[in-house]
Amino acid sequence: MLAFRLATTSWLVLVVLTLVTMYFPIIISERSAYIICALIIVVIKGQQIVDVFMELKSAPRFWRLLLLSYIVMLPLIISVIYLN
Amino acid sequence: MWFFILAELTVFAIFFIGFAISEQQNLEMFSQGKAQLHQLSGLINTIALITSSYFVSLSLAAIHKQAANKAALLLLGAKGFALIYISVKIWEYFSLFEQGITIETNTFFTLYFLITAFHLMHVLLGMVILTFIAKAAWQGKYQGKSLSGFEAGASYWHMVDLLWIILFPLIYVI
Repeated sequence: MLAFRLATTSWLVLVVLTLVTMYFPIIISERSAYIICALIIVVIKGQQIVDVFMELKSAPRFWRLLLLSYIVMLPLIISVIYLN
Repeated sequence: MWFFILAELTVFAIFFIGFAISEQQNLEMFSQGKAQLHQLSGLINTIALITSSYFVSLSLAAIHKQAANKAALLLLGAKGFALIYISVKIWEYFSLFEQGITIETNTFFTLYFLITAFHLMHVLLGMVILTFIAKAAWQGKYQGKSLSGFEAGASYWHMVDLLWIILFPLIYVI
């Protein structure tokens, strides 16, 4: 039951964040600002997938940290490229 | 499987970084290219893949409780949403072809077709893997045995979802 509740909450969070991302270019006029917001949302969504869907929260720490570092580092690199 | 997943993630990271660098060098071309994409199809595909991943997650929880038939049916649901993704993607490609847009149109569309088609191939491979583990679950092959095969298949599918989560804002929104 707990797994179902966690997965369902995570799915809702992911859907809502996807819809929010679509509206960034409309509600935020400055490109650099919505790039940062969209990439922060990528990190949050990635964390949900890694920890809840992939269940890596209870997996060996190495694999979780490796996946989490990917979803933090890649958007960070992309934002540096876009904002330079 | 984890090393395979990491290798795939690395290849896509190179694609994404390459896309961002090209965009910075051709801002106007990329802006015009993104305006020609069907944003709603990107949104539908994102929700389809997220929902598909959700079903795989529920399926994993079911197999942990030894509910193998339920797990197989949930995987069938996951494949249903993956089919929505594939249908929308193919429609999107043909819609662009009808406008005379191909992989040779410009740098934006070269990267767009390469990255999304490469991702689509991963979705297709993921569907084959889901079919394989669903069949094995339905036949009771995971009863009282190691679930590592099932877990590896599920992880692969979540990786496909994770990649789209990055791809979607990069190509359709930003």
